[in-house]
Amino acid sequence: MNRQDLKTIIYAEKKKEETNKYKHKICVCCGAGCISSGSEEVMKKLQEEIKTRGLENEVEVIPTGCMGPCNQGPLMKFLPEYNIYQKVDCSNIAAIVQSQLIEKKPIEDLLLFADSREKPFIDARDDPYFKKQLKIALKNCGHINPERIEDYLVHNGYLALDKVLFEMSPEEVIAEVKQSRIRGRGGAGYPAGLKWETVYKYVNDQKYVICNGDEGDPGAFMDRSVLEGNPHRVLEGMAIAGYAIGANKGYAYIRGEYPLAIKRFELAIKQAKKLGLLGNNILGTTFSFDVEVRIGAGAFVCGEETALIASIEGKRGTPRPRPPFPAESGLWGKPTLINNVETFAAISPIINNGGEWYSEIGTPKSAGTKVFALAGKINYAGLIEVPMGTTLREIVFDIGGGIQNGEEFKAAQTGGPSGGCIPAEHLDVKMDYESLVSLGSIMGSGGLIIMDKSSDMVDVARFFMEFCMDESCGKCVPCRVGTRMMHDLLQKICDNKATQIDLDRLEELAVYVKETSLCGLGGSAPNPLLSTLRHFRKEYESRIVQHD
Amino acid sequence: MNCYMNTIPIIIDDKKLEVDPGKTILEVCRENEIEILTMCHLKGVLDIGACRLCLVEIEGVNKLLSACTTKVAANMIIRTNTDRIKKYQRITTELFFAERNHVCAVCVANGKCELQDLGYKVGLDHIRYPHLFPQCEVDTSHPWYVMDHNRCIMCTRCVRVCNEVEGAHNWDVMNRGHQVRVISDFNSPWGESVTCTSCGKCLHACPTGAIWPKAIVQGQLQKNPGMINELVEKRKMKL
Repeated sequence: MNRQDLKTIIYAEKKKEETNKYKHKICVCCGAGCISSGSEEVMKKLQEEIKTRGLENEVEVIPTGCMGPCNQGPLMKFLPEYNIYQKVDCSNIAAIVQSQLIEKKPIEDLLLFADSREKPFIDARDDPYFKKQLKIALKNCGHINPERIEDYLVHNGYLALDKVLFEMSPEEVIAEVKQSRIRGRGGAGYPAGLKWETVYKYVNDQKYVICNGDEGDPGAFMDRSVLEGNPHRVLEGMAIAGYAIGANKGYAYIRGEYPLAIKRFELAIKQAKKLGLLGNNILGTTFSFDVEVRIGAGAFVCGEETALIASIEGKRGTPRPRPPFPAESGLWGKPTLINNVETFAAISPIINNGGEWYSEIGTPKSAGTKVFALAGKINYAGLIEVPMGTTLREIVFDIGGGIQNGEEFKAAQTGGPSGGCIPAEHLDVKMDYESLVSLGSIMGSGGLIIMDKSSDMVDVARFFMEFCMDESCGKCVPCRVGTRMMHDLLQKICDNKATQIDLDRLEELAVYVKETSLCGLGGSAPNPLLSTLRHFRKEYESRIVQHD
Repeated sequence: MNCYMNTIPIIIDDKKLEVDPGKTILEVCRENEIEILTMCHLKGVLDIGACRLCLVEIEGVNKLLSACTTKVAANMIIRTNTDRIKKYQRITTELFFAERNHVCAVCVANGKCELQDLGYKVGLDHIRYPHLFPQCEVDTSHPWYVMDHNRCIMCTRCVRVCNEVEGAHNWDVMNRGHQVRVISDFNSPWGESVTCTSCGKCLHACPTGAIWPKAIVQGQLQKNPGMINELVEKRKMKL
C-alpha cells in the first residue's frame, strides 16, 4: 500500500462514519478488568437484546478498551449521548435498552457513580472524574474497537507515521520529540528525545527498538490498558522511533500475565502488515520496519532494561552493569532504543500536534500527562490520565472520589516496590518527577495505591520488601542477601520482637543495598522502607522492644 | 602493546597515572598495585560485576561503579578506599558469611579460601546479621568431585569457566533471589551430566570449598585459579 491508498482508506472510513446508518453506538468495555466482572456476557446479552428488538440496523455495539473507573465495571457507554452505565448486569440490559433507545432517556439510578454521588451526571463528560483528566496516551481507549485497524485509522491513526515518512527527516523527528520534553514513562524519567538522539548517533547497520511492556509493579496496569485498548498507537510509536533512529526491527516485550494484551497486539501487527503500515517498504517508501512480540515469563526483574534484553536474547533474565548503556550496546550488542509502552503511546500525538503543544502541558520539568493506576482504599479505582503537576489531593478526592467508607486518608504509595509512601501532610504535592523524589518516593510507572488508617505502614514496607526479595534475580550480593535480611528484620518488627539495634541495622542495610546493588531493582528496593521510616517513624519505634 | 596507542591521564586515590584506554579500572589498579577486593572476578573469564566488592567512587558519577566492568576514561578521578567503600565491603563480606553455611574449621578449603582471606582483609571479627542457615544439598554423585552448595557464594565463576573456557556449559543458575542455586545441566545430579567433561576447571575457579575432589579432608584442597587465565592465553597462541 502506498500513501495514496492509505488516504483513500481513511477517507472511505471517515465517509462511512459520517454517513453512518447507525444512530447509536454502544461501547462495552472489554478491558481485562471489565471482562473479569463479566462484560463479555453483557455484550453478548446486549447484542441479543438489540436483535430481538430489531434495532440492529440502528445500533452498533462495539467492544472497546478501558474506560477508566475499573471497579465500577462492567461499563457500557451510549454514544452520542455519552451516558455511561456502571456495574451492568445481564438482568438489567433489557431495561437499559428500553429506556435508552426506545424512550430516549437514561436510567439515572444505573448511571456511572449513581450509587455514590448525590446525582449522577447524565453526560459523563461533565463528571469531575473525567473533567479533571486529560487523555493523550489513553485518547482512544474506550472509544474504538482495538481489534479493528480501521477504527484507529478513522481517529487519525497512522497519520503521524505518514507525516514522518513523507515530510520529516529523522533529525526533525528527534527534534520534535526533544521539544516535547517528554520523559520516559517507565519510571526513571529519562528524557526520551535525548535517548532517541543518542541511539541515532551510534552508527550501525543494525539497530533495534524495544517496547517495554513488562509491567510488574503490584497494583499497576497502565501498560496493559494501553496495549489492550489501543495497540495500534503503540505500534505506530515504535515505527516512528524506528524511522528516527534508523532501526528496521522492533520487539515488544509483553508480560505473559497479559494474554489479552498479547492477543490484541499481535492482531494489530498482523493488520498493520496487511495494510503495508508495517513490514517492507512502508507506504511505498524505502523505510522497512517489523515488530515481533516477546512474551515475558513472569520475572519482575525483566522490566529492567538490560535483563529484558538478555531475556529477548534467550538468556537468563538478569541485569548487567551499565555502562555500556543499551543505546550503545543493547540487543545482541547493537544500539537499542528501549522505551515504555506509555512513552510510545504518546509519540503520535506529539508528531501530529507538535512538540511544543505537548511541552506546554504539565510542569516545566515534567511535561505532558501521566497515566496512573488508582488502586487501594479509594472509591473510584481504575485508570486515569492527568497532566503532570496535578496534586495528589485532586487525584484522590476530585477524581478518585475520596476514601472508601468516608475514612481518613493515610498515605499514597507511588511507584510500587521501587517507590515510597506519601503521607497526608503532603496531599498537596504536585505529581511530577522532582516533587515525588523530594518526598522520598518516585513517579515510577504510575501505580498509585491509596491507604487509609487500617494500613500498617511497617507491614506495607514488609510486603514490598518481600516482593523484592522474591523477585531479586540473585545475581548481586546486596540485593540477593540484603533484601532477605531486611525482610527478616521487618518481620521481626512486625512481630514486636525487634530492638533498637535491629532498627539501626535495618537502616544501615537499606542505604547499603540502595547504593551498592547492580540494577534498579535492588537500588530501589529499600525505597518503601526508607520512605515509611521518614514519614511514619513512630510506627516503627512504637513496636521496638525496650530494654531496661 | 601498540606503540601508537595514546595513553590517558587518570587519578586513582590521589595517584596520577597515565593508562591505556580500553582497560577496566580493576586492570589499571592491579597493574599499579592499588588493592581492589574482588570475589566474582576471575582473570580469563568475562566480568559480571555481581559481588559488588570492587565498587569505586568516581567524581561526577552519582553511583558507585564496579571496577571490573567499568572502563577508564580520560581525567577520571577514582577513589577506592573511602570510609563508605570500606564499610560496604565489610557488609558485603558479612552477608556472604551469613547467607549459607560457612564453617572454616571443617572445610576442605580452610587456609586456601578466598572468602576466608576476604574476611581477614576487611577485619571481620564477628557477623552482625543472623545466619540464614539454609538447608543446602551436597551433590556427591560425580565419580571424582563433590559440589557442596552450603559453601557456594554464587560468584558463578564455575559457570563462566565451564561455558567460556571449557565450552561445555554444564553449570548454570536456577531460581531467583536467595534461592538461587548453581545447577548441573537441567538440575540433574552432577554425576548424571551429559555435558560435563570432568575437566576440573571449576574446582580451580571456585573461590571457596564448594567444589572439591573426593578423597581429601579438611584443609587439603589444592587449587590454582591462575591456571584459567594461563589456559586462555595459551589458546590464543598460534601453533
